[in-house]
Amino acid sequence: MPRPESKTITFTIDGREVSAPENTMLVDAAKLGDVEIPVFCYEPKLGQPVGACRMCLVEIEGIPKLQTGCSTPVKDGMVVYTQSDRVTIAQQAVVEFLLINHPLDCPVCDKGGECPLQDITFGWGGGISRFVEPKRHFVKPLELSPLIAIDRERCILCYRCVRFSQEISEDYQLVLLDRGAHSYVATFDGHPYVAPFSGNIVELCPVGALTSRAYRFRARPWDIESAGSVCTLCPAQCNVAVTVRDERALRVLAREHPEVDDGWLCDKGRFAYQSFHVPERITQPLVRDGGFLRPVSWERALDEASAGLRRAGARAAGVAAGTTTSEEGLLLARLLREGLGSPHLDARRSGTVSTGLARALAAPALQARVSDLEFAHAVLVLDTEPVDDAPILDLRLRKGVRRHRTKLAVASPGATTLAEPATLCVRFAPGAGAAFAVALAAALRGEDHAALARDAGAEADQVAALSDLLRGSESDEAQGPHEVVILWGERLTAGDSADHGAQALLSLADALGLADTDGAGLLEIPAHANGRGLREAGVLPNAGPGYGELAGAAGRDAAGIAAGLAAGELSAVYLLHCDPLRDLPDRQAWGEALASASTVVAHASHLTQGIREHADVVFPAEAYPEKEGTVVHPDGRVQRLRPAIAHPGEVRHEWRVLAELAERAGLELTLHSGAAAAELLYASVPFYAGLTLDEIGGRGVRWQERAAATELGAAAPPAPGPGAASASAGEAAAYRSLWDAPEVEFSPTLEFLFPHPELLADDRAASAELLAPELETAS
Amino acid sequence: MSPLGWDTAADLEKPPAEIPSPGEVDVPEGLRAEIEAHMANYPDRRSAALPALAAAQREHGWCSPQAIAQVAAVMRVTPAYLESVASFYDMLETEPVGRHSVYVCTNISCSLRGADALLADFQRAVDGDPEVNVRAFECLGACDIAPMASVDGVYVGPLSSQDIPALLDDVRAGRAVLPERQLARRLVADPHANSTEFPQHPAQGAAHGGANLELPTEDPATARGRREPR
Amino acid sequence: MAAADTAAPMLLFTDIDEPGLATREVYERRGGYESLRRALAMSPEDVLAQLEASGLRGRGGAGFAMGKKVSFLPKGAMDKYLVCNADESEPGTFKDRELMQKSPHMLVEGIVIASYAAGATRSFIYIRGEYVLQADALDAALAEAREAGYVGDDILGSGHSLTLVVHRGAGAYICGEETGLLDSLEGKRGNPRLKPPFPANQGLYQGPTLINNVETLATVPAIIRMGGEEYAKLGVETSTGTKLVSVSGHVQRPGNYEIELGIPSREIVYGLAGGPPEGRGVKCWFPGGSSSPVLTADDLDLPYDFDTLAKAGSMLGSGAIIVVDDATPILDVAMKTAKFYRHESCGKCTPCREGTNWTVKMLERIDAGEATPMDLEIMASVQEHIIGNCLCVLGDAMAMPIGSMIAKFKDELEAHMERARLRRGSGDRIASDSALAAQGALANDPRTMLGATGAGDQAPGAHEGAPGTHRGGA
Repeated sequence: MPRPESKTITFTIDGREVSAPENTMLVDAAKLGDVEIPVFCYEPKLGQPVGACRMCLVEIEGIPKLQTGCSTPVKDGMVVYTQSDRVTIAQQAVVEFLLINHPLDCPVCDKGGECPLQDITFGWGGGISRFVEPKRHFVKPLELSPLIAIDRERCILCYRCVRFSQEISEDYQLVLLDRGAHSYVATFDGHPYVAPFSGNIVELCPVGALTSRAYRFRARPWDIESAGSVCTLCPAQCNVAVTVRDERALRVLAREHPEVDDGWLCDKGRFAYQSFHVPERITQPLVRDGGFLRPVSWERALDEASAGLRRAGARAAGVAAGTTTSEEGLLLARLLREGLGSPHLDARRSGTVSTGLARALAAPALQARVSDLEFAHAVLVLDTEPVDDAPILDLRLRKGVRRHRTKLAVASPGATTLAEPATLCVRFAPGAGAAFAVALAAALRGEDHAALARDAGAEADQVAALSDLLRGSESDEAQGPHEVVILWGERLTAGDSADHGAQALLSLADALGLADTDGAGLLEIPAHANGRGLREAGVLPNAGPGYGELAGAAGRDAAGIAAGLAAGELSAVYLLHCDPLRDLPDRQAWGEALASASTVVAHASHLTQGIREHADVVFPAEAYPEKEGTVVHPDGRVQRLRPAIAHPGEVRHEWRVLAELAERAGLELTLHSGAAAAELLYASVPFYAGLTLDEIGGRGVRWQERAAATELGAAAPPAPGPGAASASAGEAAAYRSLWDAPEVEFSPTLEFLFPHPELLADDRAASAELLAPELETAS
Repeated sequence: MSPLGWDTAADLEKPPAEIPSPGEVDVPEGLRAEIEAHMANYPDRRSAALPALAAAQREHGWCSPQAIAQVAAVMRVTPAYLESVASFYDMLETEPVGRHSVYVCTNISCSLRGADALLADFQRAVDGDPEVNVRAFECLGACDIAPMASVDGVYVGPLSSQDIPALLDDVRAGRAVLPERQLARRLVADPHANSTEFPQHPAQGAAHGGANLELPTEDPATARGRREPR
Repeated sequence: MAAADTAAPMLLFTDIDEPGLATREVYERRGGYESLRRALAMSPEDVLAQLEASGLRGRGGAGFAMGKKVSFLPKGAMDKYLVCNADESEPGTFKDRELMQKSPHMLVEGIVIASYAAGATRSFIYIRGEYVLQADALDAALAEAREAGYVGDDILGSGHSLTLVVHRGAGAYICGEETGLLDSLEGKRGNPRLKPPFPANQGLYQGPTLINNVETLATVPAIIRMGGEEYAKLGVETSTGTKLVSVSGHVQRPGNYEIELGIPSREIVYGLAGGPPEGRGVKCWFPGGSSSPVLTADDLDLPYDFDTLAKAGSMLGSGAIIVVDDATPILDVAMKTAKFYRHESCGKCTPCREGTNWTVKMLERIDAGEATPMDLEIMASVQEHIIGNCLCVLGDAMAMPIGSMIAKFKDELEAHMERARLRRGSGDRIASDSALAAQGALANDPRTMLGATGAGDQAPGAHEGAPGTHRGGA
């Protein structure tokens, strides 16, 4: 679907000529001429303007009535006045109206100092109010949810929050009740507003009516600094701005990136920062001593880890997950491969895709961008539940359907939260994603797919309907190439059917001509936040950096490592931000594996069960705003983490820890800074060649769009093989939801969303016992 | 429903109010059928919100949380969506009320003819009767029979305070209210409208020509009869 | 122009009380649905040409040319909608009620003809929920019309198909505003929408939509029967045809009258409706519902048509004349008006939501003796700040009549204010109205003419915002 394009026109505003793209709304076009038109209800992210607050009234030559600048598209030759007497009177009138029932309790309001109502009153108000009647007063603040407090006195009824709930997240839980001057924002029958994206309303509120319960009264705007970062709590890697006071994160706000997050955050991304500053956080190295983990000095912890790993040598293995940066992944790979001589490492949850297929799937021409989800003619969500796997993409899919009439199809083993916006929902048997893709590819090629569909546990006519939808109708074809994006989950290539799934994807791409169509392509949601970056850094059993060939034989994948440990064939395992009991499939196998391992080295921020019971050495993990390193977005955007807050306690940069262990194992790295580590990474991955921190900047850069992308090499994909893939039942069920994470569990206002309340008490108690102040002094 | 409003916090013990899953809410079969029939009338099922809520109100007496949950379950929308709609419209009750409704029009034309006093007398007359919901209403579109009321949907007027006991007796007994004063029987005021004297319609009690237009006796503005044809 | 002494032509009210007119049998016997047959034999373009030639202006309030409105709909194959606005809620207006109750087939016939001209295939009658009797009459007529093939697929073999659904509202004045109506019909709160886009391009379900008032559509069969040009000979040049007027308030014969546009207003108020009771004069009158700025007795000789009333600073609106006699305090009229719009403001845009609320509070303060003449200036300025600055016309609908009352009855309002102030003060000092009366302060106090103002209203400022309570306030 063509992206909006427009020619540049010239209009006059307050006497000066300004160039702007045609049909830009006046309030936005005015900014290009350094003219600010005040707004409250206008927020382009929320969709079409509603013109409710009337703050943006302007005078346009030739139109008798004042017009709302938020909804008037600018035209060539338009003459606009924003400071004429008529406009000034109207602006002052609107401010006076808005303040009639506003309590003006700015001295005790969290929004004070960063409040659009304050700013606009100061900038455009008349300075006085003629309203002498009593204002209304009510109980405040009230809980709207465990996360959000509502102060209805302050509300100016701009509609932003309810529009978000109804038109963006489409949860339709937050509404206006009653009408006229009695209207108020509320939920049904006193139910809390709990939905995956609810926190965005706090950021949208232009007054202090909706506030974060975790942030209330923690700081004033002049106490704080803002530091840009990237949330690495899930693969969506939303751009964020961390509010910092006294070197601590006090708040996380969206840092809008149209190619990443569109300016929204999920509640985990917004509120999980609390887990960085809780007593349960591990802030010093721990070593198991006499059966108990005890805090020790860094030197001792490094000694123990180094000794244990060297003892294991080629029988060591490593698993990376969570917030691991690409540099950390690369260093882990080099520690294992070069320092210990072990090829056993993985950053995938399950299964191994052969190198050729992995390269083929990574081919730049096949990669869809996030914005393609919004503008494609059709999107197939295949074996992933975006709201659980990369929540912010759920909003993008809804936006596409709502604003651009994208046809959305969902193929999944269970019910999907996208059923309402979807044109078509198709089910297949749990674990049969690859088999389903094979059947769909057959249908797209016009082959008989009935038996294949049956093998996948899907209805043949539904597969046919999906095929029709993805092909588009003849009238669609008349409008140019039919752009299709397939958003697929890593589980499609899980277990034994990994290669099968990959092949099926490639044949889908082939049948739909994805590689040849701009705006079409594949977009994978990996299981781990930096899954793509880690694979590209070579944290795979069968490939080096940049999907390069290995010198020796391939190693074991994650499941193989578990089996090897349990069988005694492996003896040590390095868990980089991974508690296998939580993060990996087959909890039982991993329980046995960890119990059998002689050395378990872990990087962890919280003492979850696997770490608590099995780790021999625990290095304190950094929270993402403490990190320095590179992460790669699922669409190939290389992004950069820069330290925004200080390390608490004795936490160190983890790349240093890994580099130290690698050097102790005999590597010569001589890395003195995070920048040097990044340089090493960019030099190691051929298609990152020449990347610099400057080039990545604050917005990241997609490596596919750089010249070095050709370094990936064109791997001829193996011919797509027919036949059914084996369904690995139970695999789907083993995927954990976004909320099943220590960051949720240990964030006070967020813990109510943690799906395993029974674990909470154990984890808390263990942490309290182990990390109690008197023990922290031990060494 | 607990009277929610400005001063009420959300109950954090409750789960979020999402679209009820099938089977989660029991819906009376008749109500379900009626709502589904309404939904079939429109290209978008949400259009059925008003008729569906009205049906649920007839079933439950008001738009109680239970009533709204039932509509939500059939229409596949969130209860908050429906609550928001219900609270916008005057005829949908979001608090418990009596089964019988007496809407007394107190807008300009009626109040010029004594509607405010009539309302006060009505309210005194039903004080303590939980079955009758007397409320002021904005212009009901019957200023020709001012002051008037809509009694369970039936327009009657002109009314005076003396009519109240008989009217309430009719309501409580389930009879047609003040049949002689019902709008249904009133002829058009325009003297030129009807070229012929029509045979008396069975439902039309009063003589042709608007002679049934009675103004409250205490209103000095009272005037009877009609002008001579031009 | 019709002279006052000749009988007005009857197009809509002809034998309106004939028993059984609401049935198809009687309606057809009287020539009903003949216009539909005639229209279907013409091309849609020719039907549209007749409508344009008739000069028929919308009878709902805005007075926009009906034919032109139809012509704004885009051509081509797409789902187009026709919506009949039967949400007759403008205070003082009850003409559509009479039509729908007594001659529902006339409306159905008009809708089918208009849909044919506009190329609409789905239509809805949005009728206010309070009109139970009328909605039932429409539903019954519609069932008969469907049975006879006047509504449905391939109407009378013409190839034109139309679905028609009677949609009952639930009590909200704002749903009479066309975009508020559309939102309500889509099952939402009846909040007006920002225009553009106009309904002709993006209306119901985002499709092209024609919205017309009941009376407008009910006039269509007559236009087809007599021909557009013939119809245009009725009335005056820019206000053609006949018009139903609802006369209420202080008149001796309140009710609906069908008049030829352009007759003197006095002929309606005094001639038809009998004027105020004996011994009373007209203090002011709303010529087109409570949203129209009030006119005074001096204006009664103005011809009753769209343009004349607009020139006089008011409007013909929905054709609802509310007469206020000279014994009524203007403050009470203002209070009723303002409270109505406060109650009916949807709350979406700021000036209307806050301005209506503030105006009521100021009026209450005047009545409570807590205001000074400066407050009248503030009130007038608040009305000016509302006018033209709102999302839809509801805010203006209060501010214009209130503004007109302040301008035209400033002396009376100041005197009212002063009396109220003295009365309030007297509670402490003089202790009786008789003492004030002795000073002449209560001379000609007409308060006793009305019932206590706003019985059941809240005291100013008392927990004003509590939800649920506004329903009791009138």
